Parts: sequence; structure tokens; C-alpha cells
Amino acid sequence: MVKVNEKVEEELRAIFSGDVPWITIVWDDPVNLMSYVTYVLMELFGFSKEKATELMMKIHNEGKAVVSTGSREEMERDVARIHEFGLWATLQRGDQQ
Amino acid sequence: MSELQKGFYPHGDNAFIANFSESEREVLTNLSEQIIELLAERIDHQSDDPLAAMVGITSHDTPPEDEVLLRLLPNAYADQVDASEFRRYTESTLRQKKQGHAMAMRSNLIAAIDGVVEIDHDGANDWLGAINDVRLALGVRLKVEENLPEELQLLAPDDPMHGVYAVYSWLGWLQESLLEAVMNGSQ
Repeated sequence: MVKVNEKVEEELRAIFSGDVPWITIVWDDPVNLMSYVTYVLMELFGFSKEKATELMMKIHNEGKAVVSTGSREEMERDVARIHEFGLWATLQRGDQQ
Repeated sequence: MSELQKGFYPHGDNAFIANFSESEREVLTNLSEQIIELLAERIDHQSDDPLAAMVGITSHDTPPEDEVLLRLLPNAYADQVDASEFRRYTESTLRQKKQGHAMAMRSNLIAAIDGVVEIDHDGANDWLGAINDVRLALGVRLKVEENLPEELQLLAPDDPMHGVYAVYSWLGWLQESLLEAVMNGSQ
């Protein structure tokens, strides 16, 4: 008997609807250096320095920025990697922003 | 003194060097050990609980009560149920990774002959992560959220937080020097 929990149900729905509705958000923090935030985004996501700087400035000015989009599982991996480097990130459904 | 004021600088293709004084080395070693111990505390509390051990709960699912630990091990979801579930499966890995960064930094410091630390790109990531964790911890205690840098600079010299802020600022400078070395060195 196959057991399907909520997470799997969401994944299945996402597969059939062609949706990738989850997002990873990085929140502003007064401790983290701006250059450090830029570096972590380059290192973890392979962004160019320009792209990473743009996102860092968005986090700094607006208090948060979406840094990645994908399945819930992928976003959980991203959040875990970001937390390892001390930036604060959360994930949520993209349509609940 | 001139070497000390450099912080980290690139050396060759994939190496970064810093020259620490004895007291700087001591402070950094000490702080790395405190981070390792703080994260270990979280592990100990859980294994102290016989009921948790009995029912086979091997990981925390509630956020740390300690403000510093909470900043190091933050919630991944705004929703508390989702946050608990995520924490249950991932927190111990996160703790290990953070301890790993601090342990790498500590080993480098202990092995440093004449205070010279040489690290590669992976080592730099360990140092950046470890320094950042220390800064996050000190930042919570200094209440960096509410206090402006100008206010923290004006703390009376006999206020213990005055010294803490000096260490916090020095770590920021050291981290910045390593970031500059890594970002310019790899291009």
C-alpha cells in the first residue's frame, strides 16, 4: 500500500499542474556584512557578482528578497545550505507571497 | 603590526594567508570553542531527557529558547508546524556543519606556526562561516538590532559590552579582509 503524506501530495500536484510554486526568501539582518551576503549568494547559487550584489541590495533595502524558486524539496535544500552560512532564509509557497 | 593590519590576503592561486598575534590567536581559538560548545549544549539537553530517548526522538523539533542558539539555528518556515517538522529532520545536520566550520578554524589556529594561518578556498568557507556564527552570537548579546553602531561605539570603557563590541568589530574587519581576498583572488 502506498502512503502519501501532504508533502508528496503537493509534489504530485505540482508535477501535474506544471507548477513550481515554492520560493526561498533571504531576510535582512543587521549583523551580516553586505559583502558576505553577496559572497554566500555567489557561492551557493553560482550567481555572478553583479546578480548577487543586486539581490543583496534588494535584501538590504526591502528587508527581503526571493533568491530561488523550485519544488518544495529543492527549496528546503536551499534554505538548509543558506542557514549553514548564517543568513536567515525561509521557504513558502510562491503564491502566498 | 603592519602584517596584522592586513588581515587575510591572497597567496598564489588558491591560498589565503593571515598573520595573527598571540592574543588574536587566543581570542579566535577561544571563540571557536565556545561556538562548538554552545551547539553541543543543544545536543546534551536532548540526550538528558530519558523520555525522549525512550520514544526514539533523536532530534529537536522545537526552536531553541536561547536567543543566540535560535539565531544560529533559525526556523525555516513561518508556519510553526512546518518549522518543527523541518527542524526535526535537519537541525542536527546544521549543528554538525556549523561545528565543522568552527573546528576547522580552531585546528588551523592551533597548527599555525608563528601565528601564520594558510587556508585554501574550502578553508576560507569554513572561516567565513565560523566567523559569521561568532558575529551572530555577539550581535544578539550586543542587541545590534536595536542599538546603532554609534551608540555601541560610545559604550563606557568599563562596560563589558565595550570590549565585546571591539571584538565584534574586529571580526567584521577580519571577515571583510578574507572576503576581499577570496572574491578578488578567484577572478
